[in-house]
Amino acid sequence: MEMNPQQMADRARQFQDRVVPQIDEARQNLVDLNDRVVRFIRANPGTCLLGAVAVGFLVGRIASRR
Amino acid sequence: MTTFPGASGNGSPQDPQGGGFGQRVDHIGSDAQQLWSDARGAVADLGQTLDLRGRVQRNPYGMMAAAVGVGYLLGGGLFTPLTARILRLGLRLAALPLVKDELLGMAESAFQDYQSGRGIGGAGPAGTASANAASAGTPRPPTY
Repeated sequence: MEMNPQQMADRARQFQDRVVPQIDEARQNLVDLNDRVVRFIRANPGTCLLGAVAVGFLVGRIASRR
Repeated sequence: MTTFPGASGNGSPQDPQGGGFGQRVDHIGSDAQQLWSDARGAVADLGQTLDLRGRVQRNPYGMMAAAVGVGYLLGGGLFTPLTARILRLGLRLAALPLVKDELLGMAESAFQDYQSGRGIGGAGPAGTASANAASAGTPRPPTY
């Protein structure tokens, strides 16, 4: 199928118009998630530290059993 | 026979009111209270010294990673194949920029040698990669 440069440019523009908003939305979602996680950690430092130690302990336990 | 000063009470028949025993219980209770307050003070001092809350405020992800590492060590994961694998991966990632620079330098020098061997390098120095890339994109007539 032959495509002239104008058609290719149009297709590229359509693809860009379709994909760029999704990428922006995904980036915004990630930024929001990061903000929420950081806010939760700062609000509950002891709980998060204990949870992290527990997770590390479990991983170390599993790794030492193998 | 030697008599110790604190050994006269303790509910023995010599002390029918039991005052020695009560005093000892009170003493033990006050000692336990003192120990508890000392322990709480020590924990508070340790918390102030380590400044865990401030560190978490400043660098939450780093502190989480440190806590996971502490738990990993406590779980006995230090001398395991997983640790060796993680260390190898870290070494490779740390050496990646050096290897990349080395490969880029080798490719650049090889490209310069190739250009100078074909005599298309031009009169200029052509030392930058961008100049090489620009000249690489231009079509060249075949040399016979």
